[in-house]
Amino acid sequence: MGEFSVGRKAASFGCMIVGLVLMIWGLAMAIAKTGNTLRGGALVVGAVAFFVGFYLFPTLKHHRTIVNIIFLFPLLFAFAVTVIIPLVLGIGYSFTDWNGIRTKGFVGLDNYMRMFRQPGFLWSILITFLFVVFNIILVNLTAFLLALLCTSKLKGLGFFRAAYFLPNLIGGIVLGYIWQFIFSNVITKFTTALFDSRYSMLSETKTAFIGIVIVYIWQYAGYIMLIYITGLNTIPGDVLEASSIDGANATQTLFEIKIPMIAPTITICTFLTLTSAFKQFDVNLALTNGTGSVANFMGNYLTNGTEMLALNIYSTAVINNEYAFGEAKAVLFFIILAVVSIVQVRISNKKEVEL
Amino acid sequence: MKRKLLSVLLAGAMVASLSACGGAATATAPAADAGSEAEATTDEEAPAEEADSAAPAASGEGVRLLNGKPEIDQQLQDLAKLYNEETGNTLIVETIGGDTNASDELKKMYQADNMPDIFVIEANQADTWDGMLADLAGEEWTDKTGFELVNASMGTIGFPYTVEATALGYNADVLKAAGVDPASLTSPAAYADAFKTLDEKKDELGITAVLGWCAEPANLGWSSGTHVFGQYLDAGLKADDTTYIDLLNDGGKVDEKRMKAFAEFVGMMNQYSDPDLLVDGTYDEQVAGFKDGKYAFITQGNWCVTSPDDVSFECGFAPYAFEDGIDTIIAGPPSYWVAYSEGDVDGAKEFFNWCAGDSAQNILVNDAGLVSPFDDCKYEAVNPFYKSMKSYIDAGKYSGWHTMLKKDGLQNVTCQVFADYAQGKLDADGFASTMAQVIQSYYNN
Repeated sequence: MGEFSVGRKAASFGCMIVGLVLMIWGLAMAIAKTGNTLRGGALVVGAVAFFVGFYLFPTLKHHRTIVNIIFLFPLLFAFAVTVIIPLVLGIGYSFTDWNGIRTKGFVGLDNYMRMFRQPGFLWSILITFLFVVFNIILVNLTAFLLALLCTSKLKGLGFFRAAYFLPNLIGGIVLGYIWQFIFSNVITKFTTALFDSRYSMLSETKTAFIGIVIVYIWQYAGYIMLIYITGLNTIPGDVLEASSIDGANATQTLFEIKIPMIAPTITICTFLTLTSAFKQFDVNLALTNGTGSVANFMGNYLTNGTEMLALNIYSTAVINNEYAFGEAKAVLFFIILAVVSIVQVRISNKKEVEL
Repeated sequence: MKRKLLSVLLAGAMVASLSACGGAATATAPAADAGSEAEATTDEEAPAEEADSAAPAASGEGVRLLNGKPEIDQQLQDLAKLYNEETGNTLIVETIGGDTNASDELKKMYQADNMPDIFVIEANQADTWDGMLADLAGEEWTDKTGFELVNASMGTIGFPYTVEATALGYNADVLKAAGVDPASLTSPAAYADAFKTLDEKKDELGITAVLGWCAEPANLGWSSGTHVFGQYLDAGLKADDTTYIDLLNDGGKVDEKRMKAFAEFVGMMNQYSDPDLLVDGTYDEQVAGFKDGKYAFITQGNWCVTSPDDVSFECGFAPYAFEDGIDTIIAGPPSYWVAYSEGDVDGAKEFFNWCAGDSAQNILVNDAGLVSPFDDCKYEAVNPFYKSMKSYIDAGKYSGWHTMLKKDGLQNVTCQVFADYAQGKLDADGFASTMAQVIQSYYNN
């Protein structure tokens, strides 16, 4: 094709070659640990030169594709560096005895077998599922009721919306410490008076678990509420008007019109609460740090009564200094989360059609 | 035309910023880290000023020290300044602390090939760094202290920069007023009598409770799970006696008789502790209570009261005498400075020798409030517990910090058993057997 000048071709190939050479040179220096001041520059200039050359590539047919790739590249690169590569590395590490510093050997599936022999870990899985079930129901219910309240014709709606949403803006760790104070200094005043139990509810596994659920709802319901409000606001006014003309009362409107109309919103919200409840970490860490005892679980006395999966993985790796073992648990966590999410989305999508 | 110009300008700016970032990241990597890791430091200017000299640190122009105690960061910066003035050598202090622990940060630094020349470790972390720490045997300072860290495979690796002690801290004024002689507290029976007397005279003495002992596990697990548990491992033993820690590290075995006696003693502590503090307290409440004279005893170490201005009474240590004749406190360095064998070892050795000398000890003891591990140090620590600590150390009545050699994370398991015992869910036998069971299962799973 004679549409491109020799200059254009030369510039394109020249830039690409120079870019590649520069990048390889920079990487080689990085690997050889020399040229401290040069290698970063070489790498970046090389990458830019390569893309300039790539952009000038003499083709009409694929030019658009090339532009797409160039625009996507930064995002894909960041995604690969922060998500894909660590995931692959993590899976790799889970088969070794990596301690965060060195790998002494390959241990095969030992880490995977070991975690299922650890009663504390099985307990963590169990209560994580329990926590997720509690939260999906309670957060969505609370959030939906709050949304109904905030879409009614109440006075001072803006204030209520802001007030319910506000806890979501506070970080989980801070929230955990604030609620820890409330549970052990304020609530104890009432429990001492009412039930004569002077110890905070955080010192008992069951009540501590309820405590985490309460804090989580308090934190998360406002956020989910906003999504429900958006959903409720998209219901066309004429449908509601028609139903009221047909004589539907408030309950009927709610169950026959509103809820079916916001089925996609419900899908999104359950999905959001499901995954975020599974990943519960910061409140768990700050509020109880996984403490709490279980007198008899599979014949063992457990000391991690409120430790959920994410926290269990963290303490295995960082506190107990068993990074590879923690990685193995994290891989399992990833698989559980992936499976549950896919199943959940599938089911919800079907429901939407039926409704 | 205008639009084209603008887009060219924008693209130019983007490229420039990209390459600027790339260039800076490699050129000043150590310095940039010094800044970001110094989050807890109050004086961020010091590392920033040294940014230019920090880059070639690895090539021997300065020794980098990773400090794990944010509370003495300022004093260490002063130390670095003095070191430079006196010897012309450069010391760069980077501080990690607060909620980030140094060992975790060190792992990142190792992976990033950005290791400091000197860093802080706890005794049980030596094995993680096996083969990577320099042997400091034969250095001048090793003759002046008995507290260096010796490792079987690597030799003398740890420089002790401070000595800390833990036992039952007491308020000497209160004990005196109650007619209790702390020197007599060397048996469970003596403690039972003393606690009873104090408890009966509570109002008269103006104390809320005999003991400020807190078994709250979520935030104070390190206190019960590591320090108080350490008394089971070491109380009454010679500093180099490793009987019970060896037993523990041999698959999590526990000496039943000793654990039982320990359980009885802890039971007594539970009984006489401030009930508001015992299960739900915090470290701040515990220490504040002791400083205000509300408790006669406290289950912490010399770090809980660091300045003589904090207390208006005399402080001292009494042993955890859960068996007859136990008369030692636990004293020793809780952590050490070690030299990275691939770093500037000579620079590190030179600094250690200087640091054991007079001018450096002056800063560490008088400004940082540390207790010197060196025999020839002529400065008396300002710590209110110092006198009592020194009398035990001089008499040879101190045991080691072998609790630091237990398996990583064991404290999070044992602290819960302490908490359950404090809440009354377990009795003394239950405590001893549960302790044995959870430790065993922790070691074997």
